[in-house]
Amino acid sequence: MFNRFTDKSRRSVQAAFEEARMLGHDSVGDEDLLLGILRADEGAAAEALSSLGVTLEGAREESEEMLSDALSSIGISLEEIRREAGDAFEMRIPPGRRLPLSPRAKKVLVGARKEMRRLGDNYLGTEHVLLGILGNEDGTAVRILAGMGVSPETLEDRLYQLRGRAAG
Amino acid sequence: MDENTRTQIGGPQDPREGLEAVMALRRMLEALEAAQVENAFVAGWSWAQIAEVLGVSKQAVHKKHAKRIRDKYPGEPPRRKGA
Repeated sequence: MFNRFTDKSRRSVQAAFEEARMLGHDSVGDEDLLLGILRADEGAAAEALSSLGVTLEGAREESEEMLSDALSSIGISLEEIRREAGDAFEMRIPPGRRLPLSPRAKKVLVGARKEMRRLGDNYLGTEHVLLGILGNEDGTAVRILAGMGVSPETLEDRLYQLRGRAAG
Repeated sequence: MDENTRTQIGGPQDPREGLEAVMALRRMLEALEAAQVENAFVAGWSWAQIAEVLGVSKQAVHKKHAKRIRDKYPGEPPRRKGA
């Protein structure tokens, strides 16, 4: 699945697994691939995101807010549960447990490969992964970005601007 | 997603929102179980006692939590409850 990936895009996927574990996601979702790009902080995708004001901290907060909102919708307060459980409460998934890629994240990586072919590139860089993420309109990552005021179109335009000089 | 399909209080829930709540709850439940098992361990409960209240086998609790908790509290043998 990671054939033709550059070192940078490989590291961003690795970072996605670390983010997912930290946030208590029992699979690596499309939003974790976005967070991974931000966490690894290298390549054209990270540059495009940062130039539009998308930070790792901001995206994490947005993701946490979505979790908290989802729980509120069924009358559960994450805050109260945190308070009740005390210091031992943490979302982090322990090291022994392996995390799979979610079906959406797999779709993103398949999409990234299509983007690579469409653009006539022979490497799969962070920009292709980000384009794959944006292609998944129903995905969580697109909603996180929307929450931060960034549309897929704006981000795509910025990526194409940057592609000429900062490949990978 | 159409804003008009969103949940109203007491009304039927938008399926997507409902499913996302289930996923959020599952993640939260895992974290809560880990925290409460840890709290019980620190309070001196044995794995058998913890398992009994959770309604599962001692082996199941041990397999799921022992390593993580022992790594966090090295060299701290569980005290007997009430000891």
